[in-house]
Amino acid sequence: MSKVSKEIKVMTAQEAVKKFVFDGAVIGMGGQNVSRCAVALTHEIIRQGKKDLTLTGCNLSIHMDLMVGAGLVKKCESGLGGLGRFGATFQFKRAIEEKRMETEDFDHLTMVSRFLAGEMGIPFIPVRGLLGSDILNYQAASTKKKFETISNPWNQQEKVVLVPAMQPDVSIVHVQKADEIGNVLIQGIASHEPELIRASRATIVSCEEIVPIKFFRSHSDSTTIPYHYVDAVVHQQYGAYPTATYGYYSFDADHINYYQQCARVGGEEYKRYMNEYIYECETFDDFLEKCGGIKKVTHLEREMLRLM
Amino acid sequence: MEKQYSENYIREELMVIEASRFIKSTDTVILGTGLPMVAAIFAQKTHAPDVNFVVESGSIDPILPFAPLTVADPIIGNKAVKTGSLREVLGCLVQRGLVDIGFLGGAEIDRFGNINSTYIGDPRSPKVRFPGSGGANCIASCVPKIMIISLHEKRRFPARVQFITSPGYIDGPDGRKKAGLRMAKPDIIVITDLCVMQINPGTGMLELAKLMPEVTRDDVYNNTGFEPRQRKESGLVELPTEGELAILRNEVDPNHIYLKEPSGG
Repeated sequence: MSKVSKEIKVMTAQEAVKKFVFDGAVIGMGGQNVSRCAVALTHEIIRQGKKDLTLTGCNLSIHMDLMVGAGLVKKCESGLGGLGRFGATFQFKRAIEEKRMETEDFDHLTMVSRFLAGEMGIPFIPVRGLLGSDILNYQAASTKKKFETISNPWNQQEKVVLVPAMQPDVSIVHVQKADEIGNVLIQGIASHEPELIRASRATIVSCEEIVPIKFFRSHSDSTTIPYHYVDAVVHQQYGAYPTATYGYYSFDADHINYYQQCARVGGEEYKRYMNEYIYECETFDDFLEKCGGIKKVTHLEREMLRLM
Repeated sequence: MEKQYSENYIREELMVIEASRFIKSTDTVILGTGLPMVAAIFAQKTHAPDVNFVVESGSIDPILPFAPLTVADPIIGNKAVKTGSLREVLGCLVQRGLVDIGFLGGAEIDRFGNINSTYIGDPRSPKVRFPGSGGANCIASCVPKIMIISLHEKRRFPARVQFITSPGYIDGPDGRKKAGLRMAKPDIIVITDLCVMQINPGTGMLELAKLMPEVTRDDVYNNTGFEPRQRKESGLVELPTEGELAILRNEVDPNHIYLKEPSGG
C-alpha cells in the first residue's frame, strides 16, 4: 500500500513535528528570503529540540538560520544561505566559518532539478550549469558522490553534469490555503516548493486558511499540490511571520532587522532572542503576541493590501 | 531636442543609468536582487518600455512600479503574466536559452569575468563565507549577455577569484568551451562607479571600454588587482539628464533604499 491517504490530516504544529520530524532527518525547507518561510513549524522543531538535521532547499533564509542558531543542524545542502538586503544569515555564516556545520553548495536550478528527479522517482538528472565552476571542485566530507560529468549519449560533443535526486525525509512549507485532507493552494510566486513537496517522503504544511474540499474540486485547475503528497495540515494564521505571505500580510522589516542584529552579535544577545521568542513561548500565537499581536499583524495586512 | 545633462549626481546613480543603457526593449532580462533591479526597472521606465523581466522566484513578466527589496519581495509578482515556480524561470527560460541578459553581482570579480559569491580563503577552512550561488551559476552558464554591477574596489577585483561560483571565461578565450559550457562566448559587461569593462572574446579578458566622467585610467588601475587593456575606441560614460535622474530618484527608488542623493543636492 502506498503512503497516500485521504484521511483528515489537520493537527497542531506540536503534533505534526512530533509525528514527522526525527533526529537526523533531511528537512526540505519551503519559502524564500522574506517570503513564506515556515517560521511557525521551525519554532516548533526548535522547541522539540530535533537534532542532527540536514536542511535542504534553494534559498535557505531566516528559518534555516534559527535552526542553525539553535545548534540543531549538521549540514545545509542548498543554492544559497542569506537574507538579501537584510544581510547574511549570520548564524549560518558563523557555523561554517567555525567549522561547526557542513555545507554542500549547488545552485538554485540544480537543487530544484534534484527535487524534480525526486518527485518523478528517477535517480538523477542532468543540468547544464556547474561546468567550469568550483562548485564541482569541493564537496562536504559526508557527501558520498556529489555529481558526475558525462557526454550526452546522443551527442558526444556535449557535456552535462548529472546530479542525484533529492527526496527529503520531511518538508515544512507555509501556504495560503489547504483543505483538511491536504490539497494545497500556493498563491503568488511558488519558488521551488511544488517540486520540493512532491519529492518529499512526508510534508507538513501550515496554512493561513483551511478551506472546504469543494474549493479545490470547483477550481481544480488551480490546485498547486493534490493531497497525495501532504501528511499534516496545521492551521496557523501568520505562520510565516516575520516573513510575508502573498495576499495576506507583508514581511516585518523591524522584526527581521532585530533578529539580524541579535544573530550578528551572537552570544548572550542571541540566546536572549531565542529564549524570549521561541523557548518561552508555548505556541506560535504566544510569539505573535510578543511581537505586537493584533496591532502588528493588522499593520502588515494593510501593507499587503496596498501592494495588491 | 537637446539633452539637458546634469552634473548633480553621484557616481552610483550614473553607474545604474549606464547599466540600463545596455538593455533594449526587445530583451528578456532575468533580474537579480539589488542594483540590477534598479537598473532594469529604470530601463523599463525610460528607453526600453517593452523589456520583458523574469525573476528566479517564479515571476514572469511583472510590471514593477518601483525597485523591490528582494527577488522574493511580495511585490515581485505584480501584474505578471504568470507567477510560477523557480524551475519555470531558471529551467524553462534560462537553461532553455530564452533569456538574453542576466544580471549578476558578487564579492569578487576577476579579469576573466569569473564571479565569487561563496568563499574567501580555502573552502575547506574558509575565512569568510558569503551566501553562495543562488541562481547565479545557472545564469552565468546559460545567458548570452552577462551584466555585472559593482562598486569598484581593489579587493573586489582581484586578478583571480578565490572560488569560481559563476563562470566567466574561466582561464582564457576557450575556457568555457573546454569546460563544456554550451554558451561558449557570452558577452560580459562590468559596470562600476569608475568605469565600464567588457570582455574581449578573443582573449577571454576584461578590457576597459569607458571611463566615468572625471575618472582616469590610473584611477581604475589603482583600484583593480589587474590591468585591463584600454580599448582604442574607449570613451566616456554619457552624463545623466535631469529627466533621467528625476525618474531614478522619484519613481524607481523613491524610498532611497538603494541610492543616496547627492549631499546638498
